[in-house]
Amino acid sequence: MKKLIFALGIIFISASVQQTYAQCNTEKHVEACIPKLQSGFTFLKSYNIDGQGGAKDKVEYSYVFTKGATYQIRICNDGEATDGIVLTLYDSSRKKVASTKYEGSTLSSIAFPCQVTGIYYITFTFEGSSNYCGGSVLGFKR
Amino acid sequence: MKNILLGLGVAFAFLVSCDSKKKPSADEISGVLDSVKIEEPSISEDVISDIIQQIPSPLEISTLLKESDTKYDKSYLNDPEKISDYNSNYKKALALGVYGTDLGYTNIYEQNQDALFYLNSIKSLADDLSIGQFFDIGTIKRLATNSKNLDSLLLITTKNFNNINNYLQEQKRSNLSILLLSGGWLEALYIVARVSEKNPDSEQLKETIAEQKIIMDNVVLLMSFYKDNDPNIRQLSNKFVKLQEEFNKIEIKTVYREPTYEVVDGMLVVQDNSTSEIIMKDENIEAIRKQVYEIRENIIN
Repeated sequence: MKKLIFALGIIFISASVQQTYAQCNTEKHVEACIPKLQSGFTFLKSYNIDGQGGAKDKVEYSYVFTKGATYQIRICNDGEATDGIVLTLYDSSRKKVASTKYEGSTLSSIAFPCQVTGIYYITFTFEGSSNYCGGSVLGFKR
Repeated sequence: MKNILLGLGVAFAFLVSCDSKKKPSADEISGVLDSVKIEEPSISEDVISDIIQQIPSPLEISTLLKESDTKYDKSYLNDPEKISDYNSNYKKALALGVYGTDLGYTNIYEQNQDALFYLNSIKSLADDLSIGQFFDIGTIKRLATNSKNLDSLLLITTKNFNNINNYLQEQKRSNLSILLLSGGWLEALYIVARVSEKNPDSEQLKETIAEQKIIMDNVVLLMSFYKDNDPNIRQLSNKFVKLQEEFNKIEIKTVYREPTYEVVDGMLVVQDNSTSEIIMKDENIEAIRKQVYEIRENIIN
């Protein structure tokens, strides 16, 4: 019986923790992020960044970037700073193209004038993040 | 002791039930999705979702056409009045993708009146597919009647199509999502192929067609997950595989060079120093164009 109570307790705690993670309102961050795309960029995609309270160390998306277009990727959360969310862009061979962690500071956006059409990986990691929660948007211009 | 167990059980059930939102369940919509009711693919929905989200927005091609001073031409688009021809969910999903691209094209060229016709057709098809809840047609029409609101209109329609794709994947109906994306992608390829035919000296347009090779591979891959269980997707996939064979005759060579960077107004601006070269002949583009026209004809009629 003790084991059963223990098992149910674990389930209960897990469910409670999951409920806490559900409080990461990525939609709110995305909505706030769209108007922050620089003038001239057309919104393409939004990305949820939910590190599930630290349970996930990486959130990754991918997109085919096209030669001749300039892409802007922006991270948003509650404050002006990025709350330790780092965006790293990789090309189709998984070579690092750019990271918002640059020369000791963490920036909130990257502009990438693409010269080679291909699949690019947009990776979000957490470095000293307190909420592990944010949103990101991708825009483009020609 | 029983009370403790009961309490824990009730609390657990409550927490789980709290997580469910008031969206129609997969079972609720499955009755509507007759012709696309198929067995689950052997590959995980997450993998399918990852591939789907890679496919670029058709808006990018429309923007390229406008930026290269190509004139708006309604004759490239599918007739918005043709919705009554689409009488199966398979046809409706493909047509929804086609009309989505056409709407984006009219939006980019600021053709509000035409955009409204496409919005009406899109709303009707979306309702038939039980995804009409994503279109607040009143707001969209209000935005479409004022050219100052074009950015908002573009934003709302882009968001709607993204939401529909996410929703279909959540509902484990990625097959519909794939049809929607395939229809949309083929329509964009069709438009650029038509424009390129009219402007045969434009290398940029030919390159744009050739570069679709990368997306073509993804679309064929996505269809392969469903073709064994869905005869409609199998038939479409066979046509796309033939098109892929033409794309495979084109070679894209890439030379990688380390990027360089500068920070401008708090944003990291990348200088991409890599280059690519497309090796193709005019007959490759002609063969692709011919097949695209045929497949598109089959989709819209």
